[in-house]
Amino acid sequence: MSVDPSWLPPLGIAIPLVGACIVLALAKLAPRLVIDVVAMTTTVVSVGAMALLFAATSAGRVVTWVGGWTPRDGTSVGIVLAADQIGAGFALLACVLTACALSYTWRYFDDAEAHVHVLILLFMAGMVGFSLTADLFDLFVFLELMSATAYALTGHKIEEPRSVQGGFTFGVVTSLGAYFTLAGIGILYARTGQLGMPQIGAALDRHGMDALVLAALVLVLTGFLVKAAIVPFHFWLADAHAVAPTPVCVLFSGVMAPLGLYGVLRVSTTVFGGVLPAGSLHGTLLVLGIITAALGATLCLMQRHLKRMLAYSTIAHLGLFLVALATVTASGVAGAVIYVFGHAGVKGALFLMVGVLLARKGNVDEFALYCKGRDERLTKWLLPLGALALAGLPPFGTGLGKALSEESSGLIVLFVLVSAATGGAVLRASLRIHFGLGPRPDDTDVDTTKGEGEEQEGRFPQRLPATMIGAIVALLTGGLLVGLVPMEAIGEGAQRFLDRAGMLAQTLGGAPASAIGSVDVEWTWSGVVLGLLSAALAVGIGFVGVHFGLGRLRAALKTPLHVVHRLHSGHVGDYAAWLVFGMAAVGALFVIT
Amino acid sequence: MTRSARWIVFWLGAGGVGVLIVLALLKMPSFGGLVHPYRELSVPAAIGRSSPNIVSSVNFDQRALDTLGEETILLGSVVGAAALLRPSKDEREQLDQDEGRVLEATKLLGYLLLPVTLIVGADVVTHGHLTPGGGFQGGVVLATAVHLLYVAGSYKMLRRVRPKSWYQVAEAVAAGAFVVLGLVGLLLTGAFLANIFPRGVLGDLFSSGTVFYLNVAVGAEVTSGVVVLLSGFLAQALSVREVR
Repeated sequence: MSVDPSWLPPLGIAIPLVGACIVLALAKLAPRLVIDVVAMTTTVVSVGAMALLFAATSAGRVVTWVGGWTPRDGTSVGIVLAADQIGAGFALLACVLTACALSYTWRYFDDAEAHVHVLILLFMAGMVGFSLTADLFDLFVFLELMSATAYALTGHKIEEPRSVQGGFTFGVVTSLGAYFTLAGIGILYARTGQLGMPQIGAALDRHGMDALVLAALVLVLTGFLVKAAIVPFHFWLADAHAVAPTPVCVLFSGVMAPLGLYGVLRVSTTVFGGVLPAGSLHGTLLVLGIITAALGATLCLMQRHLKRMLAYSTIAHLGLFLVALATVTASGVAGAVIYVFGHAGVKGALFLMVGVLLARKGNVDEFALYCKGRDERLTKWLLPLGALALAGLPPFGTGLGKALSEESSGLIVLFVLVSAATGGAVLRASLRIHFGLGPRPDDTDVDTTKGEGEEQEGRFPQRLPATMIGAIVALLTGGLLVGLVPMEAIGEGAQRFLDRAGMLAQTLGGAPASAIGSVDVEWTWSGVVLGLLSAALAVGIGFVGVHFGLGRLRAALKTPLHVVHRLHSGHVGDYAAWLVFGMAAVGALFVIT
Repeated sequence: MTRSARWIVFWLGAGGVGVLIVLALLKMPSFGGLVHPYRELSVPAAIGRSSPNIVSSVNFDQRALDTLGEETILLGSVVGAAALLRPSKDEREQLDQDEGRVLEATKLLGYLLLPVTLIVGADVVTHGHLTPGGGFQGGVVLATAVHLLYVAGSYKMLRRVRPKSWYQVAEAVAAGAFVVLGLVGLLLTGAFLANIFPRGVLGDLFSSGTVFYLNVAVGAEVTSGVVVLLSGFLAQALSVREVR
């Protein structure tokens, strides 16, 4: 059976919506098993559709004008979807991760009717739409669809005040960012009278750069930087991850936050690429990325609440992705995308393993779980392996992505240290929990959040359901495969992603997809050595952390750490203040660099 | 952070952003200009498809995918709110026997306005492609009409006439109808959300093709969505009690 490729992008959006409506209609009528089967079938069909789309993009960008409003003389009133390998790859990633999350959820939420399934399917539709659209306002609509469903999923454990608080903080900060994005789109519309990214881009090329364009750039990027949890827009992420149901964390860390970065680069190249000096974009994103990576890694090392630890590791990695994207070269973009894919598998598996600990021990605190995990057969071996993969151990996809990213950005030390710190922190926790190494941790630091008192998720005292184990193994294998399977498509996709002239010609002028070169996305000897070095450093950090605690280090750094911890106060007013400060800083960075 | 530190950070940022926005606004095109690229395109497109309400044509035909997304945001928000407002483990629904008294004048006005509001709501929905209004606006009016029963009558009466689970099904079916109409367009013409129905005569009730049917679908979705949403809030306020 052959499907016209231009059907696939709208199908990617429509299939999860139809599935969500069926689940909602059946919610009160059908037994739980039917709901699970319908939701799972929808996701699997979506995975198939997006895999077909990904395959189709190898022949060039797939352009679809919704409603048949194909442009005449280069103008159209309609909405255009344009999928290259990168966009289709993100859509596929969203569907695959959703399938894993749903598999893990199979026996998980007892009380919630079918609400969780509906929300997860709508969330998936939002992510697919966000990845595929080439219309700026449509991008905002799908950003909001992702957000609205994500807030409810975060606050789902309503018995816990902390959970509702985390959802609330997430909602306020992300909405604030989205309003600024909308304001920026309004300013761009006032200037150009267009909403499509290629159309605005072409119109801006004629007008040139001025204060209005700069303001629009800063405003539009704010919403995406909040989603991507880039410092100082990052505060919501750890609070939301700490309380959200574990399978939801997989989606947040694995694909939602990286999609924020995708939005940043898509908008700043397609819309503003013609007027924004390349050096200015490079400098701004590089500074933001380095600060985010460094702060995320530091805070990750300081956590004892396992979900917060993984959340800060996500922030650190998002910083690294941004550093690679900041090169605005095909090799940097390809490296970052492969890094995102590998990270999604590894981090997803780590989150689910923490979820298993929470389900069995009722606790996610590194200190309280000391020695308690000796009898866990699954996580005892897979958690340390996941930690090493997080640090970039070859041949995991994280290692390949890291190698390509550090090569193209040149910041080898940053990549090695940050990835080793995040892997080391997870390894330290695992050594304490599963192997009982080191003295019993005794920490009286008042600044760190403890991981006790989280509501136990599910009830599996004896045996884990096969669906849960399957999800963990699938994610870890996926993270491994990203590093083993040839990824030429991503190299070519990165070229196409940055080919602005080709995109404008194909969407507005109806030009056929042009042939385009590729960049090498293969292991190099230096990449393998640096990956092994990161993993070795992570082992070192893990063992040192276990035996000496962080007592001495923490004493030496007491004052600065105290300040950093106090900044992450959980007070939503603080977060909003930093958001506004961050906008001014981003604007200033664009002017300076 | 202390209160003063928070304000310092905020004002530092707000100062910078403020300067940037003022500089940007100075460069904005002035009011009443003659350059309107999108209007030049969208008005002929709407009239060409017999839809005198240009806004509806933009919403349901020219940029129908945005509206599908927005309708889905509403659906997601209602489902999300319902999930967050569900009674927790130690809460049960209990109805009060005594609901207090409603003024006769309120009752009279409520029952008089109920059919009027229903008709106005249906009119706003079905004429969305011709006159100002449409599915979103009319849907809210219709949902308001249902709640006049609570204002004029009682909470118990509202609950009898408003079985929540039916509205949840209606919400799902209506939201699904929008997508299915889009998929039918994809099957028939090869374009998702294509305008497939006969366009009719400009000004007729059954004109402008798909715009009419999408308006009705959105009207039904918004009505049931708002009813489900309000039922969650009303239950939390009136009948959900903590039990120990």
